[in-house]
Amino acid sequence: MTRSDSEEEVSAAAQIPEGKKPPRKRPVLRALKLFPPSIFPLVGLFLIWQWGSSLDSLAGVLPSATDTIAEFWRMLFEPLTWLAVKDTLQMAIIGLVISVTIAIPLGIALGLSKFAFLSSRFTLNFLRVIPGIVVVPLATLVLGPTMEMGIFVVAWPILFVVAVQTAYGVRDADPVLIETLKCYRQGVLGQIRYARLPAAAPQIAYGLRIAVIISFLAAVTAGIIGGAPGMGREMMYAQLNGQTTLTFAIVLQLGFLGMLVSFVVEWAQPKLIFWVPS
Amino acid sequence: MTTAINIDDVSMTYTTGKVSNHVLDRISYEVQEHDFVSIVGPSGVGKTTLLRLLTGLMPPTSGKIVIDGKAISGPPEGLAVVLQDYTRSLMPWLNVEKNLAMPLKRLKVPRAEMKVRIDEALEEVGLGGQNKRYPWQLSGGMQQRVSIARALATRPKILVMDEPFASVDAQTRFSLEDLVLKIRADYGITTLMVTHDIDEAVYLSDHIIVLHGKPAKVSDLVTVDLPFPRSQVQTRNDHRFAALRTRVYEQVQGLASTEPEGA
Repeated sequence: MTRSDSEEEVSAAAQIPEGKKPPRKRPVLRALKLFPPSIFPLVGLFLIWQWGSSLDSLAGVLPSATDTIAEFWRMLFEPLTWLAVKDTLQMAIIGLVISVTIAIPLGIALGLSKFAFLSSRFTLNFLRVIPGIVVVPLATLVLGPTMEMGIFVVAWPILFVVAVQTAYGVRDADPVLIETLKCYRQGVLGQIRYARLPAAAPQIAYGLRIAVIISFLAAVTAGIIGGAPGMGREMMYAQLNGQTTLTFAIVLQLGFLGMLVSFVVEWAQPKLIFWVPS
Repeated sequence: MTTAINIDDVSMTYTTGKVSNHVLDRISYEVQEHDFVSIVGPSGVGKTTLLRLLTGLMPPTSGKIVIDGKAISGPPEGLAVVLQDYTRSLMPWLNVEKNLAMPLKRLKVPRAEMKVRIDEALEEVGLGGQNKRYPWQLSGGMQQRVSIARALATRPKILVMDEPFASVDAQTRFSLEDLVLKIRADYGITTLMVTHDIDEAVYLSDHIIVLHGKPAKVSDLVTVDLPFPRSQVQTRNDHRFAALRTRVYEQVQGLASTEPEGA
């Protein structure tokens, strides 16, 4: 901000009648307003990090923020980085699609039958609370450190989350609407189409929202623990080779990608279930 | 006159565990074709139970309901419903047009005819051109009109309405009542309506079934011989209207019950 600029501002404000005092903004504050507010904590965090890495006790252990960002920047131009991103997203998406394709019909079936719902509730809740990470060693034993293993690790926890959500949603369908449909001679399929599925949509959407996040986390975990291809494995290698800066840079990468994933979810949800006030 | 619906000695008892609740006791009535029949009675008497039996949603404990010469065992063909709770019986995720299309698809109405029927039904209820709006974008009265249009588009032989105007304000209620009279004049659909509003029953009906008691019996059958066309002002000021509403009122309250109370 130059001096003449601010002088102009003052003289322009002086022409305003009624003697209103123009807001006196300091140039630094005005410059800061150009940035989105969410950036400040981030900057603060990086400053603390930078300061921390300069401490003697952490020297050579914690890479500096600037080094990590430089490494992150360098990685953006490496094809291998993008191959890892592709592998991770591929496992996440394939696992998600397979799982949801099975989970929604399964959930509908469970929701429609009172017996199936009550009898399977315990089993499903039991399986649901087993952390997805636990199946990684098992899946690795059977499938090896492969993409298939990653897909399985992604699909497994999602299956229960989405099936249970769907089942609850299907049971929540309005009995008045169901009766209306019955009066118009709609059979079970008609009831699913016109009442059960749409009524379950908010619950399914909630399940999917969790599922998308899980799919990403599980795809990375499968790499870190089980050696499935992708960013998780790259990070495991970097860690095993003691490439500290690279390891931290991959974490940054994962953070950005994760944020992107949740943005997509936030954006899509109100479009899919537009009749529910959020 | 031919009989459209024969309610033949129908009784209903709900049983939950060891507790049984005898709601309807040997109800008999023959609804004639093209008639508008209202079922009135004090709240909790079993009006809605009777209506649920008539729609075939549940079977009576004894007796039968005969439509087209057959005892019904489920929702019969050619029956359309309008329920009190329009917000719950319309589908908020479908627009007006698609709400109307739901029963038509079940009836396998060809696409082109479906369009014609939907437009005609919406025109009839005063919602012409509102095809693409969603129920939640409409007022309560308009939503109930959508519900009525959905029933009309199926070209029903029998129209069943359960407290159709109980959830709208008084002004809307009058205009919906007049809409029902217009539909009656246009199509002559055999109609059964449950209501707790005695004035409304007298204003709209040819016959009124009064239920009373626990278990409920038919305590009176009232024939409304008020002339058509009826109007909110003239009909309601007719001295015969007043006499009829007094008679129905006393029956509903049990003041002039022909059956001993609590029998």
